[in-house]
Amino acid sequence: MRRRLSIALRFAALCVLGVTVSVPFVWMVSASFKPRAEVEEARIVPRHPTTRNYPIVLDMAPDPVTQQKLGLRFGRWYYNSFFMAVGITFLQVLTSAMAAFAFSRLRWRGRDTVFLLYLATMMIPGVVTMIPNFQIMVWLRFLNTYHGIILPAAFSAFGTFLLRQFMLSVPPALDEAATMDGAGPWQVFWDVVMPLARPGLIALSILTFLGAYQSFFWPLIMLNDDQYYPMPVGLLALDSTYGRQTELIMAATVMNVVPLIIIFITFQRFLVKGLQLGGVKG
Amino acid sequence: MQNKNKHSRLVTKARPRQMAHIGFLLPNLLGFLVFTLMPVLLSFWMAFTNWTLKPAVHLEFLGLRNFSDLLGVRALDREYSALKWAYLASAAALWLGIVGALWAVVAPWRGVRLGGALMALLGVAVAALGVSTGAGQGVVIAGLLIGVCGVAATYREDGGWEVGPGTAPALLMAVGCAGLGLLHHAMWARYEPKDPRFWQYLYNTAYLMLGLPFSIAGSLALALLLNDDIPLGRARLRAVEALICVVLGLITTAVGWGLGYPNIGLMGGILWGVAALGCAVNVIAFRTLFYLPTFTAGVALMILWKALYNPETGPINAGLTAIFAALGLHITPPEWLASVEWAKPALIIMGVWIGIGGTNMLLYLAGLSNVPRELLDAAEVDGASGWKRFRHVTWPQLAPTTFFITIMATIGGMQGGFEQARVMTAGGPAGSTTTLSYYIYNKAFQDLDLGYAAAISWVLFAIIFVATAINWKFGRELEVEG
Repeated sequence: MRRRLSIALRFAALCVLGVTVSVPFVWMVSASFKPRAEVEEARIVPRHPTTRNYPIVLDMAPDPVTQQKLGLRFGRWYYNSFFMAVGITFLQVLTSAMAAFAFSRLRWRGRDTVFLLYLATMMIPGVVTMIPNFQIMVWLRFLNTYHGIILPAAFSAFGTFLLRQFMLSVPPALDEAATMDGAGPWQVFWDVVMPLARPGLIALSILTFLGAYQSFFWPLIMLNDDQYYPMPVGLLALDSTYGRQTELIMAATVMNVVPLIIIFITFQRFLVKGLQLGGVKG
Repeated sequence: MQNKNKHSRLVTKARPRQMAHIGFLLPNLLGFLVFTLMPVLLSFWMAFTNWTLKPAVHLEFLGLRNFSDLLGVRALDREYSALKWAYLASAAALWLGIVGALWAVVAPWRGVRLGGALMALLGVAVAALGVSTGAGQGVVIAGLLIGVCGVAATYREDGGWEVGPGTAPALLMAVGCAGLGLLHHAMWARYEPKDPRFWQYLYNTAYLMLGLPFSIAGSLALALLLNDDIPLGRARLRAVEALICVVLGLITTAVGWGLGYPNIGLMGGILWGVAALGCAVNVIAFRTLFYLPTFTAGVALMILWKALYNPETGPINAGLTAIFAALGLHITPPEWLASVEWAKPALIIMGVWIGIGGTNMLLYLAGLSNVPRELLDAAEVDGASGWKRFRHVTWPQLAPTTFFITIMATIGGMQGGFEQARVMTAGGPAGSTTTLSYYIYNKAFQDLDLGYAAAISWVLFAIIFVATAINWKFGRELEVEG
């Protein structure tokens, strides 16, 4: 009996917490389907649900009050976000994997010293490098460009570290065998180690993509032309201009969050594995 | 090493292999040099100059002036050096006492328990004094922290009640507190900090970090709840249960609707919906759900929470007003982000909501899966209660995880608060939500004063470094003990 009670209590606690987590999301979705007249009401379910807020934010329909389009470049921001995030993810995973291969499978003088230097820089907070990096970007004339966002994020000590941990767990006998068969280091890397390190590659890809898709500070200081804005900076611009129109803002945030939820549900099992390996074995 | 190289030079085929690492490393190393190592060196140089983005300002080497402008104090009319040094010495004594207390908890010193008891008393006294004189939340919080440290030290069984080196930290802290308390008025009547905003923002940053212990403890609690499957029966039975939950949810919603309480009905419906998910997919459903805020965290969620907290139109205050009215209380709900007192707690609540089911929970779940089943079973056979099994088996086994999480949270927390400040509050009201990272951003990219901003970032780095070192020392010892 006591056991049953404790199970029921545990289940009930989880359900209540689940509601606490979901309610803000529910409110967000509901507000995005409300007409302007209802958005300040405390009622969660709209009386007259409408989908008109979405075309207004996407600049396909005029605002009913001012009869003018908002002139937002929402589609463009979507594209920018995805383009930059994909570019960063591809480059960062590739460079990290190559470096991780050099740090885990090849033997060379000074390897551990260089790796230690990499690890040491992971301790330095982002704010310290942010300011001089901006100055470097000014020197390189990278302001208001895509490569100004992508290149600095294309290299990561963390990614190198994470993938090195993965590659160390691949049995060395395999690449020794491949080398005996006459495979060069590039073939060993591409055909032997990379396929075996796939869970790590996927986990790092998701983490990197997520970080890049949500990154805010760097695009905020690098870009002042709204045709280059990624979604978070665009959302901030939208919020500072139309912040009083909650229904429009919420439609925009829903459109920002939905792709993430889709990615999350698709990849969640890889993510959990990768996070645990990267975290605990470090 | 040397020999090996000579050998391989003779073998023609081994030659490309020797050089291969450069090819593999080069792209990453190049980026590392340009975007990490060079910036670090440049930043260090900037911190000693008046480096600016404004055109036509001559670059000057300032030596330590940025740092003295940031951390120093200025005499209002005449210098009272003795007073200044006495005040600083008291602060140093308090600081040393706190570090020493952390140390004493893990070191095999005598007198730790006595010291701990003294500290607990001191903490209560400081907190009470803070409350009674209206000296501000800072003093009260500091007092409570000292008290907690003291209780932790008293908990040590082998510390002994006699006087020993373990008593010293408590005495140091007492001296420090007394010095600061007695000299406080005299000091600040004659001196003022050169950059008072830095100290305010440092305080804000530390205050916002108070959410971390709650968040971490919450993550642990969730991980414990989600560690193994809830025994709800076999697959077919669970499907039936889920179906029942869905039906009950629909009924609840409809009844609430019919009685004229659509919100309450809908909440009930969501509750049953979550229960249905839980029945159908068990703990995985909850893990996914709890991880969602972390996964979607970013500007969008902050804009969402800004709308939730809106004092006039937001649902939080609408809900609170309804609850207060139903209870017959005449309380006005807080203004949240618009009020100096509630802005920081509001951000803390949001932070806990975002982080509680996130990476920390996953790390704890991983840690829990490494706790040997046999140990727990043996403890149960020996008649240990649930709490005792947790305290003496699970908790020590989780020490490395807790240690790792604490370090990462401290590092993140010290640098945190930028997004909230930029998106939700603009650092206000009255600077009450400006953290150090937002201050650095403002100095660098609003005032274009890169040199000063770099100096702040190095001070921040120093603080993080010291905090991590203490964590490291403290955590490693606990780990060995556990």
